Amino acid sequence: MATADEIYGRMQASIENYDSEAAIAAAREAVAAGLDPVEAVEKGFAEPIRRLGEAFDRMDIFLPELVMAADAMKAGMTVLEAAMRASGGTLTRKGVVVLGTVEGDIHDIGKTIVAAMLQANGYEVHDLGVDVPTSRFIEAAEHAGAQIIALSALLSTTMLAQRDVIELLRNKGLRQQYFVIVGGAPVTQTWADQIGANAYGRDAIEAVRVLDSRREEWAR
Amino acid sequence: MNFKEVAKRAETGPLMEANDFLMQRVAANVTRLKKQYDVRWDGKTLVNLDDDLADRCWAAGKELLLTAGLYSMNSRRVIEFAPAEVEHALRFAPARLPLGQGKDAVTIYHRAVEDPRPPFVFSGPFNADTHEHMFVRLNEAFAQERIIDCLFLPGYLKELDGLVIRPNSGLSSRAAVLYGQWAREAVRRAGRPGMPICGHAVMALNEIACTNEEWGLRATDPRAMVLISELQVDDVTLTRLAYYLAYGCPIYVAFTPLVGGYGGDPAGTAIVAVASFIGAILLGAEVCHLGPQHIKYKQQTNHHSLFLGSLANQAVARNSQIIATTSHTTAGRPGSDQYAYEFAALALAVVPSGSNVSGPRPAEPLGFNNVSPLMARLFAEVAHAAAGLTRAQAAPIVAALHEKYKDQLTFAEAPRGQPFEELYDVESLTPTPEHQALYDRVREELIRLGLPLS
Repeated sequence: MATADEIYGRMQASIENYDSEAAIAAAREAVAAGLDPVEAVEKGFAEPIRRLGEAFDRMDIFLPELVMAADAMKAGMTVLEAAMRASGGTLTRKGVVVLGTVEGDIHDIGKTIVAAMLQANGYEVHDLGVDVPTSRFIEAAEHAGAQIIALSALLSTTMLAQRDVIELLRNKGLRQQYFVIVGGAPVTQTWADQIGANAYGRDAIEAVRVLDSRREEWAR
Repeated sequence: MNFKEVAKRAETGPLMEANDFLMQRVAANVTRLKKQYDVRWDGKTLVNLDDDLADRCWAAGKELLLTAGLYSMNSRRVIEFAPAEVEHALRFAPARLPLGQGKDAVTIYHRAVEDPRPPFVFSGPFNADTHEHMFVRLNEAFAQERIIDCLFLPGYLKELDGLVIRPNSGLSSRAAVLYGQWAREAVRRAGRPGMPICGHAVMALNEIACTNEEWGLRATDPRAMVLISELQVDDVTLTRLAYYLAYGCPIYVAFTPLVGGYGGDPAGTAIVAVASFIGAILLGAEVCHLGPQHIKYKQQTNHHSLFLGSLANQAVARNSQIIATTSHTTAGRPGSDQYAYEFAALALAVVPSGSNVSGPRPAEPLGFNNVSPLMARLFAEVAHAAAGLTRAQAAPIVAALHEKYKDQLTFAEAPRGQPFEELYDVESLTPTPEHQALYDRVREELIRLGLPLS
């Protein structure tokens, strides 16, 4: 029988090797060994993925590695979550984020980086993809029980759709339920203020920093 | 390869998700090809001097395009190409291309590495947000700079009639029509009625509404469109391509490989850039615009992008007759010395590497009209002077310039600069004494650093 540290080591290695199958196997081993899933997440998955996030920031690794690491963690987490549900509990994530590139805009990479960094930092991310209809953000946020809606726009024209999501939230009487963060190449703090967004993230790292530091505003 | 075949393959090619295309076809192949062709960056070189590396980068980029293909984002199908089709397209890519009309017509051509001929200069507002009431005056001020060959992307109309323009709206169609009318009016006022205008009126299909032989953009004006990173194309671009090819416009295709993205480091991203050049040609591009993006920086003058620009352009210049141009966006803004130092560094890296030039513009403008025609003049002068230098002569000047600005590349650190209306007397369209003094000062400094501007 492997020790807890050995299992955590295998979980960490699966993330560092970007290996989803190994992450699932190690997570199953953790469940079989009766390890606390919360501790397993923190010691097995969160630590290495935080290190990889820092490596990405230093440009020691690049987007493909970050995406693969986030995917591996996601795969392993499904096992741990299922175990928690089976025992009547839930695995607490930092927060639930619904994220996408707004309607009329098909730029993918910026949004993908933010998704990977958020996942790497312990958020549950529902990535809706690109060219996401305005109302879909709200439907998805309600469905996922999200606290945060993250809106990416790469064109100065499609920024308007960020405004529309916020306006629609207001019209539906749902504005206070969601923390809306906006970003993208043409987006500025001024624009975020103008449209009534809660926050602006200049890049993926800042998006994480902003959400972490303003937790009391979105946590519920 | 013709557009009929491209459009067909966009409907019939292998079906796959975008993420799979990017991870499996792009990222995995770049990793493999980097090793196979030994395409590496030493972590410090700003201007590549290694011809063999450039040739290996070309071979790797061509293989990447053949292995990955281009991804049609809307149909989710891969447009694949056979080796013979790629060779055929490269063989028949134009090496020279006339633009504009009458006595204002000019010719852009393929440049070789260390080609002594001056590069073609695309310059103008470069899609910076432009006020409706300033549009004609601002473009006239650019067009009156005779050293600029083609008025480049005459400004982005974000608002019209007091309203923010929504894509695909009637307002956006009206903006496209006015864009064509006002750009033509600007070059007429400058006394260059046939000056080519490289246009991209609005970010939607109704962009084509600016096309008109009398009052708008003509069949002799290059029309700009942008591929999506990496190696992706959407239906709007394919539709615009179909229209402009049929109309007879010169086709200007830009692509923006992302350093730190699916290509990885600057060397891997240079491979993606080469594949993008070739992919653009297969789509029908006649002028190919390299505009590298960066995962951390928004401008194109950082150390990674300088190397990438020099390597990818050399790969293309040495191994094809593709007409290449390179985008110049900066952290510093007009009205600051840094703005000029940045675009000069990049021009010195890419012009001796075989590129023509497009720009300059601040990557993160502060508000509207944040461009300067006087700085465009200096940009063109620098680009012309750079054509007289070898890469080895240019490299130390690039390094000296990079040293001046390398610690001020973020939004907060970069000088704020001033908009056009503060840098110019907008009645006489002449620079203010302060802006003229900045031009004189920076020009002297560039000469002192070894640039043959005088």
